[in-house]
Amino acid sequence: MLSLENQFEENVLTTKVDWLINWARLSSIWPMTFGLACCAIEMMAVGAAHHDLDRFGAGAFRASPRQADLMIVAGTVNFKMAERVKRLYDQMPSPKYVIAMGACATGGGPYYKYGYTVVKGVDRVVPVDVYIAGCPPRPEALLEGLMKLQEKIRNSSVIRKPARTA
Amino acid sequence: MDFQAIHDRLRAVAAPGLVSADLPRKPDPKVKKDKGRAGDPFVLVEAQRLVEFLEVCRDDDRLKFEQLIDLSATDPAKDDAQLWINVQLLSLKFRHRLAIKCLLPKAAPSMPSTVPVYRASQWHERECAEMFGITFVGHPDPRNILLPDDWVGSPMRKDYEFPKEYHGISCE
Repeated sequence: MLSLENQFEENVLTTKVDWLINWARLSSIWPMTFGLACCAIEMMAVGAAHHDLDRFGAGAFRASPRQADLMIVAGTVNFKMAERVKRLYDQMPSPKYVIAMGACATGGGPYYKYGYTVVKGVDRVVPVDVYIAGCPPRPEALLEGLMKLQEKIRNSSVIRKPARTA
Repeated sequence: MDFQAIHDRLRAVAAPGLVSADLPRKPDPKVKKDKGRAGDPFVLVEAQRLVEFLEVCRDDDRLKFEQLIDLSATDPAKDDAQLWINVQLLSLKFRHRLAIKCLLPKAAPSMPSTVPVYRASQWHERECAEMFGITFVGHPDPRNILLPDDWVGSPMRKDYEFPKEYHGISCE
């Protein structure tokens, strides 16, 4: 039987489809340029030189949802904005991911009781992959959240439906 | 001019709708539970004649309030039958200020729009209208400014009840 070894020099490599696709996805998570409140300031800090989101391949903030993979909901979502958030999410191409950054996006935060226009968690509008605690979260927390998301993508499979349903 | 001088001037020109002056005072130690009154001195004006009053404030040679700094409303208490309209004026020429207060019945809060006198009050009136349910008659653009167009209720009223859901999003 003909051996394949040493037949192709360095022009061929073997891998698993899952690994390759996941590696490609998690290595270039392009977030959407999208900030709603004070958390967005921390998000901008994460994007800037000191914390440098680009190290994770997630520094290319896209100005259009059609070019974005990740929506970082950074700030308070009110009802007027919720419909826009939903529309932006719907405009993103699959696979798409959502990070709820901070107390407001996670569960309404300080506006939970008396905020008559605040949505009590953005997960009532769009499915959320990673929640980040804090008010606002430290930039390191957002990096941690991003790494959690990468971990989640790394463990996904093209033939296995993810646990949550969109 | 200080408040007393402004008030005297308003009396001298017989400013329409002027009811009284209200000054802050210290609590009376002899009277139990007397809290006094904090804050600025203000003039109390009839809400229905506020426009004419403001016109005098703006045009009088000795007052010259060129700017409307603020127009807001207050719901003082649940069992209070009236809303307050609070107006702040500023004269850059004379460097004096004036606080104005009007009372409006909660049952049917309606008053003439002050936009013909101060265009700055457009957005302030829109906010008061949606937050307190006040009708400003003659406002050139009476849409909601902050809340969604189909919002029900006046959130800043003390008797406001929170919505149960909005466009399918639960508020519980």
